[in-house]
Amino acid sequence: MSFRPFYFIKESLKSFRKNWIINIAAITTVALSLLVLGFFMFVAFTANSWMKMTEQKVEVVVFLNDGVPAESVEAMQSEIMSWDDVRKVTYVSKDQALERLKKEFKDSDMLSMIEGNPLPASFEISLKSPDKADDVVKRLKGRSEIESIRHDRQTVERLINFTKMARWVGIIFAGLLAFASLVLIANAIRLAIYARRKEIAIMRLVGASNWFIRWPFLLEGITQGLIGALIAVILLSIIQTAINENVKKFLAFLPNGLPTQTYYQLIFALVIAGIMIGAAGSALALRRFLRV
Amino acid sequence: MIKIHNITMKYKGSNHPAIKDINVDIDRGEFVFLVGPSGCGKSTFIRLLIRELVPTKGDIFIAGHDIVNMRRWKVPQLRRNIGCVFQDYKLLPNKTAYENVAFALEVIGKPSRIIRAQVPEVLRLVGLEDKSESYPDELSGGEQQRVSIARAFVNRPAIILADEPTGNLDPATSGDIMALFNKINRTGTTVLVATHDREMVDNMRKRVLALEEGTLIRDQQRGVYGYEE
Repeated sequence: MSFRPFYFIKESLKSFRKNWIINIAAITTVALSLLVLGFFMFVAFTANSWMKMTEQKVEVVVFLNDGVPAESVEAMQSEIMSWDDVRKVTYVSKDQALERLKKEFKDSDMLSMIEGNPLPASFEISLKSPDKADDVVKRLKGRSEIESIRHDRQTVERLINFTKMARWVGIIFAGLLAFASLVLIANAIRLAIYARRKEIAIMRLVGASNWFIRWPFLLEGITQGLIGALIAVILLSIIQTAINENVKKFLAFLPNGLPTQTYYQLIFALVIAGIMIGAAGSALALRRFLRV
Repeated sequence: MIKIHNITMKYKGSNHPAIKDINVDIDRGEFVFLVGPSGCGKSTFIRLLIRELVPTKGDIFIAGHDIVNMRRWKVPQLRRNIGCVFQDYKLLPNKTAYENVAFALEVIGKPSRIIRAQVPEVLRLVGLEDKSESYPDELSGGEQQRVSIARAFVNRPAIILADEPTGNLDPATSGDIMALFNKINRTGTTVLVATHDREMVDNMRKRVLALEEGTLIRDQQRGVYGYEE
């Protein structure tokens, strides 16, 4: 009985028009804080999926000297395979290596300059965890069959650090901004309460229920949070599109943004966060300024 | 209807209680004046009855309900059964007379069918059927107070409390307002009017409760404002 949506919506709209500056400020900070949160989450997610991709790629490549007999190659492969940290070992023969090169540079005339096959045979070793690369490299070093070893440890490490940093910077910035928007929403609600103090006094006098008095203000805060979140989501999707298109131009091997499901989860989380900020802000104002 | 047992009210940070050991019984349908000089505790008394204040000591029963120990969420229900009228009318300036009265019903969730029936009726009762579309600043003080009485009475409460309802009005208008309270009282509503309008009290010869410095010094049927000084 005490929840009457149309009455509350009408009242919220009225109060919005009255105090539009502080309301716009509150909505803008909500949008900004969620945009920052969303952006850093987006970056972290993207870096994460790069990392997953890199993990699946070769991490340690062992180039073999020419002329190693096939039995030794096979023995070595099964030995490496038996190590705990190793997930997969692929042998790439000299012919296969050349084949790959040809494929990668099929549009270029560089190949015509190559005579014979200068490429070495190799093992491509993928690991269970990227930070095990050091151990594996150590064990392989000094063998006579091996010409050289290459591994992408640094790249991986940098990627891990970057992801962690992006996540923390995002959380801290977004947290600060979320706090600011909470305070601004609380202030907007306080003004709305103040503007309607006479009505509130009469409502209490004639026996309007406490929640009947509170609802319009709570609804107002939630609406501000929601609008802020929607703005953030729209801006974020624009930014994401822009990044995807530009990055793809020169880094074609990168994955194509976020998987759709993750993207929707992110949007959903942002909208929920906006609503929570709004509800918390108005609850704060109600506790302090509306003694019913 | 109203049973007050040994109540004392002491405000925080004050040494003297605003209300001291008061015992009063008011029956259904009574008309009672609460008199005394400014600062004697009349307003505190009224605020205790609508549970805007909780007494430091003692019990208050309204229509059988213990309102001192009442749960907070039940207080609105109590207030729906008590109409309040104040010296400063407390009307909303951006609403017409009709809307001001209707507001009291809207916010307690009455359906609009009932609002449309009850508001004109109560405006007729207070004699403002022609002014229902006027805004408060287009009405005289007496008319504004009638709107406020209409708002207090529109939900047919069992009790009407009035705190200095004629404090801002001239004697003739005050007489009209008191006549209106009398009319409401005859419908069976219990009426309690706090006032320091000596002439009015002396003319009407109703029950008089006299307060002085928070103490009930006199409770007299068909009483007068005070003994001649």
